[in-house]
Amino acid sequence: MKKAGKLLLVAVLGLAFVVGLNGCGKKETGPIKIGVLLPLTGSKAKFGEMEKNAYELAKEKINKNGGIDGRKLEFVYEDDTGKPDVGRAGAEKLINVDKVPLIAGGYSSSVTYAAAAVAQQYRTPFLVNTGSVDKITEPESFNLTTNDGDKFYIYRLNPPVSEYASGLEGLLKEVVKPKSVYIIHESTTFGTKGAKSFAKTAKKLGIEILGNESYSSGTVDFKPMLLNAKKANPDVVYMIAYVMDAAMLMKQARELNFQPKLYVGAGAGFTMPAFKENAGKASERVVSATLWHQTLPIPGAKEFFDAYVKKYGGDGPDYHGAEAYAAAQVVADVLKRCKGDYSKENIKKQLDATDMMTVFGPVKFTSYGKKIHQNKMQTYVVQWQDGSLKLVWPKELANAKFDYPIDWNKYWK
Amino acid sequence: MEMFLQSLISGLLVGGLYAIIGIGMTLIMGVLKIINLAHGQMLMVSMYIAWVAWYYLGIDPYLSVFITVPVVFYLAKYISKYLLNPLIEKDSILPENQVLMTVGIGIVLVEFMRFIFTSDYRSVQTSYTGQAWHIGGISIAIPLFWAFLFSIAATIFLFYLLMKTDLGRQIRATAQDRLAASLMGISAEKITIFTYALGSALIAAAGSFFLPIYYLYPDVGPEFTAKAFVITILGGLGSTVGAIAGGIVLGLAETLGATYIAAGYRDAFGLIIFLLVLVFLPGGLKSLTKV
Repeated sequence: MKKAGKLLLVAVLGLAFVVGLNGCGKKETGPIKIGVLLPLTGSKAKFGEMEKNAYELAKEKINKNGGIDGRKLEFVYEDDTGKPDVGRAGAEKLINVDKVPLIAGGYSSSVTYAAAAVAQQYRTPFLVNTGSVDKITEPESFNLTTNDGDKFYIYRLNPPVSEYASGLEGLLKEVVKPKSVYIIHESTTFGTKGAKSFAKTAKKLGIEILGNESYSSGTVDFKPMLLNAKKANPDVVYMIAYVMDAAMLMKQARELNFQPKLYVGAGAGFTMPAFKENAGKASERVVSATLWHQTLPIPGAKEFFDAYVKKYGGDGPDYHGAEAYAAAQVVADVLKRCKGDYSKENIKKQLDATDMMTVFGPVKFTSYGKKIHQNKMQTYVVQWQDGSLKLVWPKELANAKFDYPIDWNKYWK
Repeated sequence: MEMFLQSLISGLLVGGLYAIIGIGMTLIMGVLKIINLAHGQMLMVSMYIAWVAWYYLGIDPYLSVFITVPVVFYLAKYISKYLLNPLIEKDSILPENQVLMTVGIGIVLVEFMRFIFTSDYRSVQTSYTGQAWHIGGISIAIPLFWAFLFSIAATIFLFYLLMKTDLGRQIRATAQDRLAASLMGISAEKITIFTYALGSALIAAAGSFFLPIYYLYPDVGPEFTAKAFVITILGGLGSTVGAIAGGIVLGLAETLGATYIAAGYRDAFGLIIFLLVLVFLPGGLKSLTKV
């Protein structure tokens, strides 16, 4: 009896196997599923939501225009809650349970880095669109060398954090010419590495660094730190902070009547509409590095911005939304070039060959320095002027004059 | 000197803010003997109510106390009556399960608010947000100052309630010995439900005072649950005076540490004090006094 049972089991398994094989032979018509890892809950959820909206917007457009070879594109979202351990598990689920051949997304640096290790382990291409710490596209951090392009599965659309301030460099050198700077940054991978690379830039420009202080995200009272900065009396205050910390920093700087020549944000929170809403008057004339602005002469940028506002309302997306939309564009482009073979290896091959225009600018994965598979791009400088974000640098692309020197008493009244 | 004074004042004011977050928690912990891990989420709910009142009806956040307190009081009353109390009644259920229940309640509240309001950051802009008095070179943030005054008022109110009124005696009796209190004719069940609601109402009031200072999103709660927990242990379980002392000690430790040592380790300074109190003063600051 026992033996018969075993035989039956073998027969059933065998049958299932044959049926399974049969399934492979048929031409698939269902949607092509691509994984997207984003913080949809937790303190970074606001950014995750914006990026998800942008992905959905892009998906609708792609599917309306015929999808991928007649098949629909579908994004499977996984919530990383902004925590590296959850991000790791999320990437594993996308690869092993949802069986996606490509993962996109990746918001905060630490989560993206953790997820990248998983993607690398399972040899699954990972198209990063926001996580910006340098080591993500440095093969040596995954025990590979820069010659191992064929074994390296991580691709990045956005510039690394060390290049965020590259646009700013020109502005500081040519217009502001500060003698000293005080750096305030979040105590995360993004903040610490960003501060370190800005310190290097400052040294290069001959700017003295009067202080380099970190804080933990969600702090209620920034005054002790700002007081120390005020005492140091720097020309420029450089801040790396997410949106609400950024707003709190500026609000409290105003309360303390701390007036350096210029407040500079390093992207992240300072370009978000929520920053202006929450900081109120204190947001006026604050300058920030940015990766994107809807008025840039990039084909499709303005259309994307308008379509987003039309569908989701509000103040529209900042560079995070553009990054996500561009990532979806790259995904669609890569899949189209796959010509029906959606294996991980083929997708990787097509990612290597990517050379296209997106709403975020041209995308091409190149190697330079320690990095490979990194899209190289320019960054810009924006300034909050009378409640709206104006592009002020580089001069030839600017849509407003850089307001400097700044009379803080006038704007903070 | 100016810097020291400014840090001292900042620390005191932030401490007052922590104290109002901690008072409700200490009350609940004293009577129900459980850690209410949904405490910060109650703060969040109250802040949303205050925000809606301000955004849609133009009601000043401070006046919205009259809305947030009753709404959260009844919300907490029903949560306690139908979700927490049934677990107390059954002997087979360990107290840990009530703690798990509060975790669940917290998650439901957060996701419910996310469903309605999305994860957007909100804050209120009133005539006094971002305003400060300048005395010499020292700045005192006006909304923080009001929150500080409120926390003292709340402590006095609660102290009076617990020490001088009949209801307060019943609460204290239930906290000391539930069985004995029932034998003396106190309805321990009613008192338990009332205490949970009162503790939540206190943090609801705190929410109205907190909104002009901070900002709001569905996940704002957990961090303050943790702060409230630390304050409760610092001050001693169930002690209102201990809570305000604990809050101020925490605020001062964080602020002075951040000014003179390193702002990045701000939270660590508070937790070092917490550890020292646990080791050398296990009963909390309460054990230094008679009340």
